Amino acid sequence: MSAASVTVLPRRTPPTILVVEGDVRIRYRVSDELRAWGFKVLEAGSAPEALTVLDAVPVDLLVLALDLPVAGSGWDVVRHIRERPAPTKMIVTSGEADPPGSLEPFVRKPYQTAEVARLAADSLNWPPPTQA
Amino acid sequence: MSTSSTHLSAEADTPLQTILVVEDEVLIRLVVAEYLRECGYRVHEAVSAQEAILILQAPEVSVDIVFSDVEMPGEMDGFGLARWVRSNKPETQVILTSGAERSADIAGTLCEAGPLMKKPYHTQEVVDRIKQLRATAKRF
Repeated sequence: MSAASVTVLPRRTPPTILVVEGDVRIRYRVSDELRAWGFKVLEAGSAPEALTVLDAVPVDLLVLALDLPVAGSGWDVVRHIRERPAPTKMIVTSGEADPPGSLEPFVRKPYQTAEVARLAADSLNWPPPTQA
Repeated sequence: MSTSSTHLSAEADTPLQTILVVEDEVLIRLVVAEYLRECGYRVHEAVSAQEAILILQAPEVSVDIVFSDVEMPGEMDGFGLARWVRSNKPETQVILTSGAERSADIAGTLCEAGPLMKKPYHTQEVVDRIKQLRATAKRF
């Protein structure tokens, strides 16, 4: 067998996504979907939890619900992110009307988890699972 | 899309096992859940007993073991959750964890709910305890 012409590309480390969602039924479904796409997924159930994780762990993308039910809102997390020197990418979700300003991409609840995963993959230049 | 096919079993000759980690301290929950995933388990996370029950009641979810903190805010603590599991999901096993000595004593009344682990614990201890619990269950 010839020793030439075989190139092995380094395997890319999966991006880390933080899912911030107060409804646990939505949180585990979208988190499972994102894991199936190969992402490393962290979960937070509230704004204070999200801020704790963001201060402790490097995160490449947030999937952030603006309509968090307790202890602060998704807007607290948005303000925290925007104050950073290098703001983390976000996909925002809500059951309410479209958010004001430039919060994009925005996904209205109820949503298909695959839609969020596709947006995350596009944002992070990550291949869909069939190509992973 | 189904996620089960993307996860490896913790042991090659056993079916995939699902662990529900119930912990209100997010960084502890994150570390334990990630460690268990790296060991090959499928893991769900809950912030509270109320969230845990919502996951356990979901028709598409089948949990083998609940790994829960005892002290949690809200109307139900880990002991209450263990009682709920015993009444409503008797096939699901429970591991309780706590830093309080008193909790260890109370746990004696919940022997069916499984052993109680004292904090701080090493994440490998969690995996060892789960394997031990599953091995015990297989004998009956």
